[in-house]
Amino acid sequence: MTADDSLAPPRSLYIHLPFCRRRCAYCDFAISISGPDLQDRYLDSLLEELHFVSRTSAAAAPLQTVHLGGGTPSLLGTERLARLMEAVAAGFSMEDGCEVALEANPEEVSPAAAREWARLGITRASLGIQSLSDPTLRWLGRGHDAELGLSALGWLRESDIPQVSCDLIFAIPGQSTGTFLNGLDRVLRFEPDHLSCYELTLEPGTTTRRLVDRGRARPVAEAVALEQLRSARARLLAAGLTRYEVSNYSRPGCQSRHNLNYWRGGTYLALGAGSHGFLGGAAASALGLPAGRARGVRYWHFRDAATYVRVLGQGSSGIRDSEQLEDSQIGLERLALGLRLTEGVEVAEAQLLAASRRLAAHGWLVVEGERVRATPEGMEILDRLTLELIAA
Amino acid sequence: MGTPTARIRNFSIIAHIDHGKSTLADRLLEATGTVAAREMTEQVLDTMDLERERGITIKAQAVRMPYRAADGLDYELNLIDTPGHVDFAYEVSRALAACEGALLVVDASQGIEAQTLANVYKAMELNLEIVPVINKIDLPQAEPTRVAEEVESVIGISRERCLLVSARTGEGVGEVLEAVVRQLPAPAGDDSLPLRALIFDCKYDAYRGVVVYVRVFEGRLSSGTQIRMMAGQGTFTVDEVGCFRPGMEEVAELAAGEVGYLIASIRNVRDSKVGDTITEAQRPATQALPGYRQASPMVWAGLFPVDSDDYPDLKEALDRLQLNDAALVFEPETSAALGFGFRCGFLGLLHMEIVQERLEREFDLELITTAPSVAYRVNLRDGQQIEIDNPDQLPDPSQVISIEEPRVKLEVVTPREYLGGIMELCQERRGEFRHLEYQVGDRALLTYDLPLGEIIHDFYDQLKSRSRGYASMDYELAGYRAEQLVKLDVLVAGNSVDALSTIVHRGQAQGQGKRLVRRMKEVIPRQLFEVALQAAVGGKVVARETIPALRKDVLAKCYGGDITRKRKLLEKQREGKQRMKRVGSVEIPQEAFMAVLTIDR
Repeated sequence: MTADDSLAPPRSLYIHLPFCRRRCAYCDFAISISGPDLQDRYLDSLLEELHFVSRTSAAAAPLQTVHLGGGTPSLLGTERLARLMEAVAAGFSMEDGCEVALEANPEEVSPAAAREWARLGITRASLGIQSLSDPTLRWLGRGHDAELGLSALGWLRESDIPQVSCDLIFAIPGQSTGTFLNGLDRVLRFEPDHLSCYELTLEPGTTTRRLVDRGRARPVAEAVALEQLRSARARLLAAGLTRYEVSNYSRPGCQSRHNLNYWRGGTYLALGAGSHGFLGGAAASALGLPAGRARGVRYWHFRDAATYVRVLGQGSSGIRDSEQLEDSQIGLERLALGLRLTEGVEVAEAQLLAASRRLAAHGWLVVEGERVRATPEGMEILDRLTLELIAA
Repeated sequence: MGTPTARIRNFSIIAHIDHGKSTLADRLLEATGTVAAREMTEQVLDTMDLERERGITIKAQAVRMPYRAADGLDYELNLIDTPGHVDFAYEVSRALAACEGALLVVDASQGIEAQTLANVYKAMELNLEIVPVINKIDLPQAEPTRVAEEVESVIGISRERCLLVSARTGEGVGEVLEAVVRQLPAPAGDDSLPLRALIFDCKYDAYRGVVVYVRVFEGRLSSGTQIRMMAGQGTFTVDEVGCFRPGMEEVAELAAGEVGYLIASIRNVRDSKVGDTITEAQRPATQALPGYRQASPMVWAGLFPVDSDDYPDLKEALDRLQLNDAALVFEPETSAALGFGFRCGFLGLLHMEIVQERLEREFDLELITTAPSVAYRVNLRDGQQIEIDNPDQLPDPSQVISIEEPRVKLEVVTPREYLGGIMELCQERRGEFRHLEYQVGDRALLTYDLPLGEIIHDFYDQLKSRSRGYASMDYELAGYRAEQLVKLDVLVAGNSVDALSTIVHRGQAQGQGKRLVRRMKEVIPRQLFEVALQAAVGGKVVARETIPALRKDVLAKCYGGDITRKRKLLEKQREGKQRMKRVGSVEIPQEAFMAVLTIDR
């Protein structure tokens, strides 16, 4: 894939649904804790933006992926979700086999809900299980227990939704390696198609970060975090799930196509509060974004749901700002994102290839022709390796 | 026609930092109408931004003020300002030498500080008449009676003679001017003798060349005079003489007793050395005025550009600073770790900081400064003695018989309750107790003999912190002495880093080595490999730390909304990385080269 291909018209659409019942202790996302009233007004605004975007040439190419992210998209309820799906189908053409993914929390999953989602065209459900230890779930501020997490996974598995993924978190203060791996095993018994296994990041401003900073929770030692990561990878491989990205594992053919597009440097449209999009210059211009001579433009929306609603009410787009990317910046992003994938990334510059070979000599990277990929050892220090490459 | 000598008064103001020297000077300028109140920018005398920020005077100034005294006669008052920091002690002594008297300004609540005292002693040695001024009497915590008592007991001037002033409100300023006229002697000096004029300062002006500040003691100076520097030997023709009111104003001549400036197409401040005597080339004086001394740097450090492409800019900037700063010396230096730079000599640590800050601020340079060092005398087996100002120049120990280090006589004035802590500090720094004298009230004057190298780092800060800011200090060089000194090397991943070597006392090598490598471990980020940090004396490792290899550094989640943030972080990290210096395969940030300075003892 060359850089030009990646800046083709967008074939992916991200829709942000910011509502949550509560804010989890580790979350720094653009979310909103508010009642049905704002949800309705938000949906109206979102559809307004959708109508505007879908009428531009930026929406001309048939979509390959639609991702409903949050927040807690499952909180939206079947009726509103139906309205949204109808609008997407009416506004955009969707390729056959288009991936339509929905992020869900166990609290909203039921056999009936899963049935509805399948009926509305959801092809992939991603379930936020996070942990199977009740004390840990409480510490994380989650609204469900382990049992509900597993039940929800079972109901999704039994539904007509073709692909089921779930999220687990490791390196959580207070959760032992044994407890974590035990939870992973219990999840794997349901044979999920896909699993995202994230190290807990202590983001600034979150409750978990505050607890650690104030000494009320002991951060997980680096060696322990690494042990959990390596053990999880081994068990996932043994269960037939292959790692294809730093934190993502799947059965063959069940990767998140939407996310793969991010990591391969592809373009995508975005709708809704706090969402980010990435477009080629022509598509960006079609949305009214300043593009100049830039080959790529990144843009983002107002983070706060109420602000987003207000701004759309005033007749403007919900986009807060954008940036034009120089070719070198596009190159840097492609390298940094591509290396996150086990398939690696094509590298054309001789200097980068030479630097890659130097790091490959230590077993952190593999260079095959012009393709560079990280080994499992390299993945553990990937950010530093990337820095070594771009500063070479 | 100039003012008759009998009605000239030359004086300066001696004061501790913050005791109100600049404010009083401002009031004098106002009261004499030299500067109208509305034209006053705060503190006219301190012209450089840096001075104003730090509350110190770096370059002396001289202002001529016309004054009609109570006796109805018109006087010419010349106020010569003095630099206010211990680094510039010699410049202070020359400015004082240009005067017949001095105002001693003491804060009504703080009392006399060490540096003030040192300057008072200098003034007394020069036979200056001293008028004590107790300032800030308007403040609630003012204790003018106690401070007047202190002046009497410490300096020996009757307490009745102390003037009570508030420079802030203007109270008592008129009395100060009258005291200057009545108590200070008029300059003596014969117009008809061969010219002898003292250089007490100079500055470089981009358009006019060097402006020399002079006090004429004998003879006359006017445009056209052929002058010769008695120590510097240069000969010049005077283009202009004048005085400051406070701007430069040309006058027909400067006669014996007068203070002013001269311009003589001098291109370099080095040709007009502070303390030198100017005489007439055709009719030279037989003897120079006393007290000339070559200003010599006490502290040495390497200055290197962070970006090696900036080397020519650094050279140009140093050249330009040197035009106006005769005390700054530098020569090219090459470091294996830091590349090309300059070894620079400074009067003291403050002088070093000022130069560093000016280079960064006025010339937009980013610099790495190596740990400051003093100059050592090394006695070699072949009978030679060499002087080194860079630890890296120390010859192989097998060729060295002994190393001598410079020592200073240190005077500290402190409230008694902090004596213990301060004496402890002096002992820690290898000081030898000399003298303790209790003064009136609760103050004490403490004298120590200690190595200069021990006070250039953080001694002053320590003194302040151990006395809650109340102690003050002054020091002067007091010769050299052979000591058990060794070179402490630092090895990073087995490679010796020249720029990190220091010379330390043998007994302190291990402790210092431990602190140094521990501090470096804090500032050097983890690398892809384990990095050994060692401190060694003559090849023998005395301390060791290990920076473990980086084991985990990867962002867990990187989706559509995280990409901009991730890219910006990478761009910033790349910039930071490119500024680091490489030693072997190890990247070392700038701070590491200053680690010696930021060690907690």
